[in-house]
Amino acid sequence: MLFKVSWRNIWRNRTRSFVVIGAIVVGVWAVIFMIAFTMGIVESYVSSAIENDISHIQVHHPKFKDEKEVKFYLNDIGTLVSNVEQQANVKVATQRTLSNGMLSTSKGARGVQIRGIDPTKEAVVTKFDKKVIEGDYFGKAKKNPIIISKRLADKMKVKIRSKVVVTFQTLEGDITTAAFRVVGLYRTQNSTFDDMNIYVQQTDLNRLLGGESIGHEIAMLIEDTEQLESTQAALKAMFPKQLVENYREISPDVNLYETQIQMSTTIIMVIVMLALVFGIINTMLMAVLERVRELGMLMAVGMRRLQVFSMIMLETIFLGLIGAPIGLLVGYLTVVYFGKNGINLSAYSSGMQKFGIEEIVYPALESGVYFQLAAAVVITAILGALYPAWKAIRLKPVEAIHKI
Amino acid sequence: MKNVISVSGITKTYNPKTIPVHALQGVDLEIEQGEFTALVGPSGSGKTTLLNIIGGLDEATEGTVIINDQDITKLSDGQLIQFRKEHIGFVFQAYNLIPVLTAKENVEFVMLLQGRSQAERNKRVNELMAAVGLSDKMNNRPSQLSGGQQQRVAVARALAPKPTFILADEPTANLDSKSTANLLDMMAELNKQENITFVFSTHDQRVIDRARRVVTLEDGKIVSDDHRDV
Repeated sequence: MLFKVSWRNIWRNRTRSFVVIGAIVVGVWAVIFMIAFTMGIVESYVSSAIENDISHIQVHHPKFKDEKEVKFYLNDIGTLVSNVEQQANVKVATQRTLSNGMLSTSKGARGVQIRGIDPTKEAVVTKFDKKVIEGDYFGKAKKNPIIISKRLADKMKVKIRSKVVVTFQTLEGDITTAAFRVVGLYRTQNSTFDDMNIYVQQTDLNRLLGGESIGHEIAMLIEDTEQLESTQAALKAMFPKQLVENYREISPDVNLYETQIQMSTTIIMVIVMLALVFGIINTMLMAVLERVRELGMLMAVGMRRLQVFSMIMLETIFLGLIGAPIGLLVGYLTVVYFGKNGINLSAYSSGMQKFGIEEIVYPALESGVYFQLAAAVVITAILGALYPAWKAIRLKPVEAIHKI
Repeated sequence: MKNVISVSGITKTYNPKTIPVHALQGVDLEIEQGEFTALVGPSGSGKTTLLNIIGGLDEATEGTVIINDQDITKLSDGQLIQFRKEHIGFVFQAYNLIPVLTAKENVEFVMLLQGRSQAERNKRVNELMAAVGLSDKMNNRPSQLSGGQQQRVAVARALAPKPTFILADEPTANLDSKSTANLLDMMAELNKQENITFVFSTHDQRVIDRARRVVTLEDGKIVSDDHRDV
């Protein structure tokens, strides 16, 4: 009977109940969408960082990370890469020679990182060939070809076939200068990366550095990211003297983003739920205050205070149980739709690209968040009902019955 | 006849620490099983206060209220709720039916609180709805009933748990003459046939005319107590 009375009570004032249910639906939907959108941005940032730059796991000389000097290289890197590719869960690996240097043209000079790559492998690991938007990739044989970003080319007034001069330090510590011919211009979604990185063939850079079989970095993609840590552990066993790091360790900002998302998810949820709590308190208090005489009668005829309390709680929980699934469903459908079609943020893309975020964001949400949210709504409904229910049981039947 | 209600030395003072209002000043009253009693008196005479104290809804400042040999002034809040549920039926001036329940469900409600079985509840509801002449309105909600019909349902609800007596606070105040006459006929019949004890507080001369005992209060004191043959 308590369930029946509570259920029917919520339909006494349909408009008010629909307002509360609507608030719950909108609140749940908003939380889902905001979290999914933020996660989509983080996903975009992380995948952009992995695809363009850091891959899933990298191997370096233990001192290279801190000092970035060319002398901290991995020897016989070709063999090392072959060994890495034999490892379970490693999809593909590539090798890079890295050096800091100066790019000079007739218009000026800029500090850059020179990335000596294996063009074939790099195309597989970072799909770098697809990012070349003008000119050619390294396919056609030319002496000292170089690919720089479109942004950098524009800033330095460089075109395809222009000659540029790159200055850097050799393994011996001498400063060397070499002329390169621009064969292609690339663009990634990360404008900061584009400003800082130029690409040459590893064989050319190694020759100029004075070490034919050296490299500074092995970067690899793995098949199953769930096994990131176990794969990393296996590689650490394989290279006990080298530094083997996953993408979170290599790029702490990626880790920060992932932690940030969890924190902001919680904060968003708490803010929306707090707003809902006050909405529910307001509504249920109105529902209690307009039924004072009836509640007094119920207590007069023998309804215990706990039963009155439970009745008010049930009414609120019913509202939550109607609103939450609708909100979850609408939220889920929104995430599925935009997860497939994306949200075009090209109007803001210049700012976003500085942070490595793509123009089109694909909202994504783990299933666990839906359950967390469902639980949060029920808890919110219970919290919101506590005060009105307490108010109801504080009524004195003798006074309540005669209330006008 | 056995006393079902025995009130002794009841006083009730509102606002004792600020501006004391003495609603009842040493009331003694005994009501026997099967009586049809009207508490009458001008507004502020204390009749509703007395009714509330007899019904265990309000506490007396002093005195004892013994119902069926039990002093209810010594019961805790929880025990009082239980006591009311088992022994007292209430009829209120404004009917106070639960608007979201049908007439049948309203009558059934207190029996549900008592934990009666479905079969027992159905039997009792059918009997009572027939007794109040509303068998054909079982599934109507209060909003679909007239004031008189609602008050009949309220009487049926008060009778449902088979209480020791019924307390009715101005039960006819919102009814027209015809509804009042019908309601009083019905209650008088129940009183006569089933020996149910009724205690009214009322201003209504129509009720007073039908009462077999009229207790008059003034300024919180009983000033007359007339037993009559009606």
